[in-house]
Amino acid sequence: MKVTIKSWTGVATWRWIANDDNCGICRMPFDSCCPDCKLPGDDCPLVWGACSHCFHIHCIVKWLHSQPQQQCPMCRQDWKFNNK
Amino acid sequence: MSQKSDELKIYWNKIIYAFPILNDNLSSECTDTEYEEIAHIITGLSIQVKIRDLILVHIEKYLRHNVAPSFWSKFTKIEEEIKGFQLFKSAVNDLYESVNSFSILLRRLTLLNNTCCDNRPIFGERDVIQGFKQLVRATLLSQLPVTFHVIINHFYKLSFNVFDNMKAYEDSFMDEDACSGCWNEYSECNCAYIVKVFYDTNRKLVELQLLERLAGQVLTNFIQQRIEAHIHKLCTGTFDLSYIALLEKWLDVTVMTWLTRIYCAGSSEPPPDDENVQNAIAKFKQKLRYYLYHSYTKLRIDQLFIIIIEYPDSRPAISDIKVCLNKTDLQKSLCKNLQNALETRLLHPGVNTPDILTAYISTIRALRHLDPSGVILETVTKPVRSYLRNREDTVRSVVSSLTEEGTGSELAEELAKFAADNDEEGEKEEAWDEWMPDPVDADPRNTASDRKGSDIISMLVNIYGSKELFVNEYRTLLADRLLAQGVINTDKEIRYLELLKLRFGESQLHFCEVMLKDISDSKRINALISQDKNFEEMNNKFASNAMILSAQFWPPFKDESLELPDEIKEHLADYTKAYETLKGNRTLSWKPHLGNVNIEIEIGQKKLDLTVSPFNATLIMHFQTKPEWSLDELHEMMKVPVNVLRRKITYWQSLGLISEKSSDYYVLVDGSEACKSNVPSNQVQEMICEDEEAESVMASAHDQREGELQVFWSYIVGMLTNLDSLPLERIHQMLKMFASQAPGTECSLNELRQFLDTKVRTHQLFLQGGMYKLAKS
Ligand SMILES: [Zn+2]
Ligand SMILES: [Zn+2]
Ligand SMILES: [Zn+2]
Repeated sequence: MKVTIKSWTGVATWRWIANDDNCGICRMPFDSCCPDCKLPGDDCPLVWGACSHCFHIHCIVKWLHSQPQQQCPMCRQDWKFNNK
Repeated sequence: MSQKSDELKIYWNKIIYAFPILNDNLSSECTDTEYEEIAHIITGLSIQVKIRDLILVHIEKYLRHNVAPSFWSKFTKIEEEIKGFQLFKSAVNDLYESVNSFSILLRRLTLLNNTCCDNRPIFGERDVIQGFKQLVRATLLSQLPVTFHVIINHFYKLSFNVFDNMKAYEDSFMDEDACSGCWNEYSECNCAYIVKVFYDTNRKLVELQLLERLAGQVLTNFIQQRIEAHIHKLCTGTFDLSYIALLEKWLDVTVMTWLTRIYCAGSSEPPPDDENVQNAIAKFKQKLRYYLYHSYTKLRIDQLFIIIIEYPDSRPAISDIKVCLNKTDLQKSLCKNLQNALETRLLHPGVNTPDILTAYISTIRALRHLDPSGVILETVTKPVRSYLRNREDTVRSVVSSLTEEGTGSELAEELAKFAADNDEEGEKEEAWDEWMPDPVDADPRNTASDRKGSDIISMLVNIYGSKELFVNEYRTLLADRLLAQGVINTDKEIRYLELLKLRFGESQLHFCEVMLKDISDSKRINALISQDKNFEEMNNKFASNAMILSAQFWPPFKDESLELPDEIKEHLADYTKAYETLKGNRTLSWKPHLGNVNIEIEIGQKKLDLTVSPFNATLIMHFQTKPEWSLDELHEMMKVPVNVLRRKITYWQSLGLISEKSSDYYVLVDGSEACKSNVPSNQVQEMICEDEEAESVMASAHDQREGELQVFWSYIVGMLTNLDSLPLERIHQMLKMFASQAPGTECSLNELRQFLDTKVRTHQLFLQGGMYKLAKS
């Protein structure tokens, strides 16, 4: 008997490679989207700070807008986007 | 003194001579001239009132002692129809004659009464003749024997038979030897005589105003039997016509002609000057019309289940019932009857859920038309709703029928209709001038707009009382379909989803939107990855694709383990790498047991092209490398529980590729032997696809909810550890207090009971005398 695989369609779930499960600002899972968005992933991406904390991009932008100082809400270090 | 008394004696004898009734005798030889003289004597003595009253007493006594007993003496309990006929005839004749023999007496009594100026009513009537008739009736009826109806029955039964037959005889040619009217040979046919007697007797009874009292019941019964027979003959099998007009006409023409003939001695027109007869006929007709509606309604009520199933073809029948319910008092009996029919015909395990739903939908539609207030519907379908609530596959059936393709799916049409209505009218405001009060038997807990406004889909959804559960089930079903079919017409699904959103609201269905987007995104990603240089080489061996899901938006998957063959694992790992390159900072977790595999199997001379599950692909690949496996070895290799293995391996056994050589030991059936399996491969494939689809890979709604309720478990354990044992209500209360912050934790008492019961079944709890207790570990 010879078995030939012609095609294999697998099922996978995607997830962000991050050191936490939930966004520290909105408390939603990273793999879900921020409260302002409807679609996860490409439409509501994560960003990392130089401090290595990460958030939904929409959450951290909103946070930084509301604050006099540009600090990471988790560790209070100055916030810098890290283009990892 | 004695002279005076002699004189009076002479007068008295003269008065008796004029009114022999005073001696209880009727025959009088007194001539009119003689009477005038005697009348003078009476008025001369001013005793007219006394004499009149004395005469009345004697008339009454005479009727009581002679007329009535001799009349009733003929009403025996006789068996023979023709004898009964004769007896009744002669009883009426004799009565008629003896009443007539009062005529001279009554004429003189009238004259006498005219000389009395006291205006006293005679037996309740103004006029002597009327008073007398009244007295005759009252006296007769006061002596009514128990079995009076026997000969009356005989009389009318025989007459009706002849009567009917005469009409038939006019219409059609009779080819029997015996007359079917009187059952005699034609040569000795009695029909003409019977009809004559029939008319004659009826006329006499009408004149005596006794027809109704004596024969009314019997007549009514006979006519009612005929009405019933006519309705059954005319209306039984067909529901697509309205019969009310036809029946009314039949009553007006046929039945009334017939009734008039009885009352008017064969004439089909009532005498224009006889109000008594006209009134009697009109009253009778009213009774018969009511009966007509009653019978027709009852027939329709008995057939209501079938009528409902055939709705909307049976709309005319429903419209008829609607009219009839207003004229009869059968609404209660309708509800009870239909509820019974639904229960016995639908609500048992032998009927599958889609059929119950179809019937339920028909019921909703038909009863809406029958009773726009919604009260009947609500009452009648209560058991249907609670039955459906307890069926496991109800939500699933509703959802799949909602999404069914093509025509014939009532719910799919309903859904589209709802969207169209919404577009056209927007919010519908209730017109104040069309307001109607609720019927008195309406359940006050539900408002009129609840009953009227809710469409069929909401009625189905409301079986559960929650949209969430319903939408959840839709999500599960969609997930299954997306994963099973792989390639799916997402445009169509999106269009459909838009319809559902209109119905159930945006937020509820947002998850489904993401799921659909995952599938279309996956196609794009697959295309991009297949162009990846590093992946290309790998993909040359065989094409691998992925369905990449946003886990947060999909229903939870059943946990199943499966260890894939190394070459597949490598392949998927490469896919993951390519994905990571494509989408920075993101990676994939594979669900190895999900998906589908297209394989080609060459065995002997034969080639099989199959689409199978990853499990089946893995299994057959292992048999390619080694033709014999014990169950334990396979378990070791595939990390699948042995009972699952044993169940699933039957797929290959059914194809004839693997056989169980000895207990739990499987071998490949190679070469020529396998070719003996002469199942055409197409057919096999279809069979398998069905098999694969039948099982959902999603955790069921029930499982999901149980998962959610698990949140409570730690609280409950805590409570019971501290308080030893608690009743259901107390646990519910405490949970409300302590656990109200946890997400998605609204839990009804009923749900909690079910949850606790599963814990009892799995021996984690004891239930004793209504108290829950932790099992000793
Ligand atoms: Zn966030
Ligand atoms: Zn966002
Ligand atoms: Zn930080």
